[in-house]
Amino acid sequence: MAIEIHPLEQFQIERIIPIHIGRLDVSYTNSALLMTIVVVLVTALLVLGTRKRALVPGRWQSLAEMSYEFVADMIDTNVGHGGREFLPFVFTLFMFILFANFLGMIPYSYTVTSQIVVTFALAAVVFIGVTIIGIVRHGFHFLRLFVPQGVPPVLLLLLVPIELLSYFIRPFTLAIRLFANMLAGHTMLAIFAGFAASIGLLGILPMGIDILLVALEVLVAALQAYVFAILTCLYLSDAIHLH
Amino acid sequence: MTALALRQTLVCPTPGRVDRFRGRYYGARVLAILPLVQVPDIAFVGMSEGRPPDPLRRLGEDIEKARAQRVRTEPATGDRAAMQGGLAVGLRIGIELVVAVVVATGLGWAIDRWLGTRPWGMIVLFFLGVAAGMLNVYRAVTGVSGAAGYRRPPESGAGSKRWDDEDC
Repeated sequence: MAIEIHPLEQFQIERIIPIHIGRLDVSYTNSALLMTIVVVLVTALLVLGTRKRALVPGRWQSLAEMSYEFVADMIDTNVGHGGREFLPFVFTLFMFILFANFLGMIPYSYTVTSQIVVTFALAAVVFIGVTIIGIVRHGFHFLRLFVPQGVPPVLLLLLVPIELLSYFIRPFTLAIRLFANMLAGHTMLAIFAGFAASIGLLGILPMGIDILLVALEVLVAALQAYVFAILTCLYLSDAIHLH
Repeated sequence: MTALALRQTLVCPTPGRVDRFRGRYYGARVLAILPLVQVPDIAFVGMSEGRPPDPLRRLGEDIEKARAQRVRTEPATGDRAAMQGGLAVGLRIGIELVVAVVVATGLGWAIDRWLGTRPWGMIVLFFLGVAAGMLNVYRAVTGVSGAAGYRRPPESGAGSKRWDDEDC
């Protein structure tokens, strides 16, 4: 009784509603469906949760307010002065990634953040946005970010390319960290689940590991959303408080 | 039994109220279990200092107090901030190095294909990528300020001072 195991099958993109514009394939896929669900859920939580506007918050209002305060606190500690105006952006990012990660933990659903297209799009928005903010705020002065101070001019030939590289690598690290964590975690879950299914009674052992891994994955899901948001904060802080 | 009930009403007049800022409600619950001797102290400090009996006004005062406290500690990077930062840093450094090398090498390969300078672009950019990755990791770990990819130094004094000079 051989059971075929396809640990990577869960990342398959499937067209739900095929749409083609010219040669462009813009079909509504399972990934797009999950993203829609994420947006609807986050919006519902915030809109319905704060609808009553009670002085003494109920459960849902508490949840909405706590998530808001969490991100606001993150911005206060990491960006500091002048960071609050970016709160809507960071909050949206955080909630989107958090909900996408958590929804991916539900069996038979789809993990949007395991697609590098999605994470890289998010990271690119952060990177381009932060760069534009830096240039708008500081103008030409912003380029001093790439020139270390107090260095002999000869060394600048070497150091400026390094600084440039280390700046332009940011969106890649941001995207790959989230993508790799989700991909690796979910693949591992599927592999152990496959073991459990294929070796019969002994399958209890891998199943036990899988249960522990689910707990770990829930932690990773929350943590990666947090890391993404906090790095966005740090990059914003760089761009705003140029020295 | 009635004494306990009385104590509870004295210490926490509206049991349903949860003070989200300092968790006072839970604190009051613990106090209610304390021996009866201590109760007058606790209960009457709150009452005798001329605080308005209106629970709504008192809630407002509490919120104001908490808010003032928060503003005072705003720029400081306390334990919580250090932990937050530490967690984020710990998770990012591993991938930082690898991605820097891979991306830089890929960029070098692309430049080689474009300009036909194989293999020099790839070689040079590989080493630059290693350097950039090391730099990013170093900055993430030590918090040395300088340029791209750095983390703010954990000392709140120097850090908070720098935020204030807006013009530089």
